[in-house]
Amino acid sequence: MSRRAFSLGAMSILAAFLSGCASNRELPMTTLAPKSDLGQWIYHLFIEVTLWDALILAIVLIAFILAVFIFSTRVGEAAPPKSAASDLKLEIAWTVGPALVILMISVPTVRTVFRSQPRVAPADSLHIRVIAHQWWWEFQYPDSKVITANELHIPVNRPIRLDLVSSDVIHSFWVPQLGGKRDVVPGQINELTFEANVPGMYPGQCAEFCGDSHANMRFRVMVETPEQFAEWTKLQQAVPVAVDQITDASVADGAKVFADSPCTSCHRIDGVSKGYIAPDLTHFGSRTTMAGGIMANTPDNVAKWITDPQALKPGALMPPLGLRGQQLNDLVAYLESLK
Amino acid sequence: MSEATQTAGAIATHDHADQPHHPGAGIYLIVALFLCVLTAMEITVFYVPALKTVIVPVLLVLAAAKFALIAMFFMHLKYDSWTLSGIFIFPLFIAAFMLASLMMLFAYLAHHLA
Amino acid sequence: MAAHPKPLHVEPANYLQGGGVIGWLTTVDHKRIAVLYGVSALLFLGLGGLEAMAIRIQLWAPGEHFISARAYNELFTMHGTSMLFLAVMPLLLGTFANFMLPLQIGARDVAFPRINALSFWVSLMGAILLHLGWFFGGLPDAGWFGYANLTERMYSPGLPLDFWTLGLIVAGASTILATLNFLVTLITMRAPGMSYMRMPMFCWAIMITSILVLLAFPPLTVGLIFLLMDRFFGTHFYIVSAGATPILWQHLFWLFGHPEVYIIALPAFGVISEVVPTFSRKPLFGYPMMAYSICLIAFLSYGVWGHHMFATGMGPVADAAFAVTSMLIAIPTGIKIFSWIATVWGGSLRMTTSFYFALGMILEFTFGGLSGIMHASAPIDLQQTDSYFVVAHFHYVLFGGAVFAILAGIFYWWPKVTGKMLSERLGKLQFWLTIIGFNGTFFPMHFLGMWGMPRRIYTYGAGLGWTHLNQLETVCAMILGLAFLVMYINMVWSIANGEKAPPDPWDGRSLEWSVASPPPVYNFARIPEVRGRDAWWIVKYGRTGSRGLAAYMSGKPPQPSAADLAPPAEPIHMPAPSIFPLILSIGVLVASLGVIIGEWRIVILGAVTLVVAAIAMGFEYPTFGQESHDPMAAPSSGGTDVRKVGIWSFIGSECLFFASLIATYIIYKGRNIGGPGAEILEIPLTSFSTFALLMSSLAMVLALAAIQRNDRTWMRVWLGTTIGLGLVFLGVEAYEFTHFYHEGLSLQTDLFGQSFFTLVGFHGAHVSIGVLWLATLWFASFGEKFDGSRSLSVELAGLYWHFVDIVWVIIFTLVYLMQQVKGA
Repeated sequence: MSRRAFSLGAMSILAAFLSGCASNRELPMTTLAPKSDLGQWIYHLFIEVTLWDALILAIVLIAFILAVFIFSTRVGEAAPPKSAASDLKLEIAWTVGPALVILMISVPTVRTVFRSQPRVAPADSLHIRVIAHQWWWEFQYPDSKVITANELHIPVNRPIRLDLVSSDVIHSFWVPQLGGKRDVVPGQINELTFEANVPGMYPGQCAEFCGDSHANMRFRVMVETPEQFAEWTKLQQAVPVAVDQITDASVADGAKVFADSPCTSCHRIDGVSKGYIAPDLTHFGSRTTMAGGIMANTPDNVAKWITDPQALKPGALMPPLGLRGQQLNDLVAYLESLK
Repeated sequence: MSEATQTAGAIATHDHADQPHHPGAGIYLIVALFLCVLTAMEITVFYVPALKTVIVPVLLVLAAAKFALIAMFFMHLKYDSWTLSGIFIFPLFIAAFMLASLMMLFAYLAHHLA
Repeated sequence: MAAHPKPLHVEPANYLQGGGVIGWLTTVDHKRIAVLYGVSALLFLGLGGLEAMAIRIQLWAPGEHFISARAYNELFTMHGTSMLFLAVMPLLLGTFANFMLPLQIGARDVAFPRINALSFWVSLMGAILLHLGWFFGGLPDAGWFGYANLTERMYSPGLPLDFWTLGLIVAGASTILATLNFLVTLITMRAPGMSYMRMPMFCWAIMITSILVLLAFPPLTVGLIFLLMDRFFGTHFYIVSAGATPILWQHLFWLFGHPEVYIIALPAFGVISEVVPTFSRKPLFGYPMMAYSICLIAFLSYGVWGHHMFATGMGPVADAAFAVTSMLIAIPTGIKIFSWIATVWGGSLRMTTSFYFALGMILEFTFGGLSGIMHASAPIDLQQTDSYFVVAHFHYVLFGGAVFAILAGIFYWWPKVTGKMLSERLGKLQFWLTIIGFNGTFFPMHFLGMWGMPRRIYTYGAGLGWTHLNQLETVCAMILGLAFLVMYINMVWSIANGEKAPPDPWDGRSLEWSVASPPPVYNFARIPEVRGRDAWWIVKYGRTGSRGLAAYMSGKPPQPSAADLAPPAEPIHMPAPSIFPLILSIGVLVASLGVIIGEWRIVILGAVTLVVAAIAMGFEYPTFGQESHDPMAAPSSGGTDVRKVGIWSFIGSECLFFASLIATYIIYKGRNIGGPGAEILEIPLTSFSTFALLMSSLAMVLALAAIQRNDRTWMRVWLGTTIGLGLVFLGVEAYEFTHFYHEGLSLQTDLFGQSFFTLVGFHGAHVSIGVLWLATLWFASFGEKFDGSRSLSVELAGLYWHFVDIVWVIIFTLVYLMQQVKGA
């Protein structure tokens, strides 16, 4: 009974593994449906290695099953075995065999290693500086002078070159659908080069443990058509409406609340405040998520966040400001108006 | 010198069968002399500007020579069981490999510092 | 040789009896120490399991609030740290190797019984340090590999990381001590006839593992010392604003961390290589290849650490090199797996629980190895590292490989250790629960990883498709917990009511089965003569395997005869118990606590306790420095004293310690910000001190030559000269350091200053210890018996002294003479 259960269990593991790889290709953070050249190179290599692995696993499993269930007896069943303690041919076979497999794997591996890490960025690539903070992401576009947080917009079918730097500890930039991760190490500039080839929204997340709220350091990459991207860039470059020209009363009051609050010492709003250690809020209202991408950018969520940031993101540096009632609503209205 | 040879002879008579043969004071003095000469050469290399270009390999060879002399004679590896040499040489190999790899890895990294 | 204090008579019937609590606290018996290790490791195994279960409950659903983010981070940090350092390694090395090595090679104890006791007590102190955070503001929470600079005080304030740093240094030191002992034991104390190629494969595994430990722990220790100095003494080894590269920690850590994987895997392979032949009733297939593949794995393991760092940006050349070397490890590993299967092939199988776990290990470990090939391919690793795929992989290796082997080993050796049988029925139940629980917990993690779930997140968003698999895993983790509960119940039941174990319950092959269960204190009444591999098997069945077959066929395999088990006619000299290992380790604990709370008087109290206990150990026997063995107990030493092999092994380990410090110096030497650079180093002054140290080595060998010809007076003169020259060297160094300090170069100034002071300072500390050692020897030489027969004591101190000298030869060249050469 137990013998059969053993082999059945092993077989079903293999079956589950192979079928699992094929299904569930459209999960938001899957690595199995790559949408960039880098992701596709890695994926193909992964499939290739998986097939070799499956072959080796099959050989080991068959040998194991034959050895345990077919070509052996149980104690007391028969005379004790003649003991073969070695067999040179067999031993050479299972040394040379794996060596050949490794050769087959290492050639495409080395090729992909060099292909995926070009020393110089491809011509016409878009340079973006990614600055990781505990626990949010800052994205700077040197060409268009756009600064944004937690939502990276890039054009489709154009090489992207990310310069990854950290302002505090080690983080790791990872958008599973767009390819492998690259650590963001303080004191060091790491590069990531890829070209997305399908428009869409791809969630990413910090992948190197970076302290209390490591789990809350998420972000999104919006891969857009060149037109959409140009439009977005234009919107981000726009200077926000001056405070004294705001028409909506609540928003105008909110602008005052902001200007008089400690918010200004950390957050920048173009023309209003110059803080730089926290996310730039100049176009906060244009983002879909907030607070390191952990929740949707809705007035309710913004109010909750301002009331008690630590409850949503343990260890967050932003202090609770003690704003309530109308003041809070006005501030939220103002922030959401910053399109 | 003759005194040293005498001492060496005296030791030979005291040698126990179960103990590895250790060299006498004579050998020790000669090795010490070599060590001094090698050190003097090292310091000379440091001060001679003409040798600037080859300073690294020359110093490494000289240091290796001193290292080997002390290990072989003062630490008796030349006379003791091979097992002991193995216990020492393998770590040395790993250490040298580690040192070289780290230097190369960080030399690459030097181009990527912020 | 010299007389021993207490010839031990054979009163107690077995090693477990007699002595009371004091007997256990002062024991130097390798078997008792193994039991102590085992009890503490099983405790931490349970604790680590509970931590894992809390982790799984927290991951039940998105946004779960079972525990806080901080608590979650503490739990996964402590789960990893305790499972590796306090459970798995102690079980494999502290318990299995400690208990079985001497028995398998036909010895009565390890080479240095008191150091064996010391390594246990020190490891216990390390474990206590790691867990003291419970009472002082929280447990460490930076992950088991504690990546700098998150571990710096700026990002991890408070005591938890202080406890972690010191706890790991202490635990690491104890591991080095323990394995040094194993290595020397295996080299020198094999019974007559037991050549290396006749050793049980477990002994091979432990021998190579010991070398791995000795050469892999020093880089970790150096990395931790840097962290300690950063946290306490204001240095900046990993502080970016001072120009440091935190990646340095990762290199030092993984230089330890990858060999560490094999430090755990090789003993596990060793256990499987014992269990599979026994229960297949066949010799291990391809013994020479099995031994060579262990060596090859160990050798390769030093060249693959970078595969943990593919994502850190090492550049394509390094990525490619590390990828290929990592893949190469698959070849010797494959040899092992196929050889085990070939051992089973054609065997006459006895399906015990132990064998079940061994067979399970072969499959589960293969699976873990195959996903390992994926990470070895650097580009694939970029998608998998730090995701749940990697969590799945290393649990298949560490649990499916090591823990399965440990469970196989527990069921295999339990009768020998306790004299009682475990319940096979409960064992089989535990096995199936483990198979279901283990695969159910860790197999789905491959998919979570492929679907993008990063590791070490205390919560995750809904809508990512991760919830169902997480829930499956949590349920299966509870089943796995249940499996271990069954094991603990089985153990308690066995000790209380278990069937009494015969000496050889499994028809075993190696010598541990030729003695009583539990074994007598002295292990072997007569040291066995070994006539081939599977020494005990040959005794039972003869070389051709034909003798005793009738007994085997009738279901009652031959047991050791009454004459074999009879107590010896003459008293056997066994090492006397000693309290000093315990006292010394208490000194370690006190000093560490003093450092953490910043109370220097407590540090000094601990340090004094430590030094006094160490010197007391030296004088404990009437012959100074003598461990409790005579040459007859080291039959395979080839006439080389056991202590000499020990000191050389220690020196080998020190090579890696200094290499790590030197590497750091070369990397950081150019990074002097504001302060003076390497041109500050003065050649004339250090040439003089170099000369003094070289001449001290000459004086040292002359002292040795003097004592070898029984000339105590000249020995004292030359020894005194050595000490004097050593003090001159230290004096110059002290002057040099003070001078630099006035020139504006202190430990805190910049990276050049701190790496210089650390390297040269640690060398100076070694010289100081050498001076202390030589001074102790000098005083001891006034004792009555200090004549030519004691020359070895002088030789040992000399070896250490000369090593310190050759380290200086290197430092003088690389640091002083090459000061104008640019650093890395």
